[in-house]
Amino acid sequence: MGLLAREIEARGVTTVGLALVKEVAVAANAPRFLYLHWPFGHALGEPGNIAQQRTVLHDMFSMAVNAPRPGLVVDLPYRWRRETYAPVADWSMPSDSLLSALSLKPSALERVAI
Amino acid sequence: MKLQKKTDDKETVNAGGKSPDRTPIGWLKEAWAHWISNTPRGTSLGHWASRTIALPQLKRLAAGQIPWTPLRKPLSDSTVVLISTGGVHLRSDRPFNMNSDSSFRVIPREVQPGDLPISHQAYDRTDALRDINLVFPLERLHELEAERVIGGLAQEHYGFGLMGSAKRLMPSIKEVARGISNAGVDLALLVPA
Repeated sequence: MGLLAREIEARGVTTVGLALVKEVAVAANAPRFLYLHWPFGHALGEPGNIAQQRTVLHDMFSMAVNAPRPGLVVDLPYRWRRETYAPVADWSMPSDSLLSALSLKPSALERVAI
Repeated sequence: MKLQKKTDDKETVNAGGKSPDRTPIGWLKEAWAHWISNTPRGTSLGHWASRTIALPQLKRLAAGQIPWTPLRKPLSDSTVVLISTGGVHLRSDRPFNMNSDSSFRVIPREVQPGDLPISHQAYDRTDALRDINLVFPLERLHELEAERVIGGLAQEHYGFGLMGSAKRLMPSIKEVARGISNAGVDLALLVPA
């Protein structure tokens, strides 16, 4: 999937990918990845949890707009089945999860070796 | 597209009629996929397998500079395309080969969840079949289009199946990338199995 992101981005289209295996996302050298420590087949979360799914999409949009450089794999902080998801208050603002990962917790960022 | 309502009734998560179909993979593979997806040991093994298969290939194919295209307009003006590697395709299309398939399927924007089978054997599809948005969040994107959060959805979206050889996948990857670029899409969202 990282190779697909690279090809699409090289053709002038912004990409954001979700990743469930972090090492593979890092090795893919793709422009922007968000990593979720969630089970296979559940990249957007649990069935019927619309607030959760919208939260992940908000994080993807926030990454599309705010990623400062290519090759970042950002850890999202959500625990599996132990979170409650508030409705997204303002879609025009970046998500708190992404802002906190980008600015306050540099350890959450994986700088890809080029 | 019918919108979903959150519900505790596990059989009726997909509103608007039929749920997606589970393309049969046999009980043994089904049990294996369930174990990989739903147990800590299985997940560890799944991660190990992904790394073992992908890392050597990526070392060769994903070397060099990382491409970079900043989003060129506000999200509310941007056209969004969705790409899933979860084995999603149209019911009227040929299913993916379960062992490996280097082809892709086009999924039109107005598709209904009931018209989307999943043909993939490497993960437990039970939840995704109850709510296809877990691997192909097109309903959520339709809502965001209606709310004017995004400018619009592309006319055509894309599904891939299970494929171990990245090299054999490259012609399809290049074709999809070309199609997306030619369609004037601004943002591509990629969702894994």
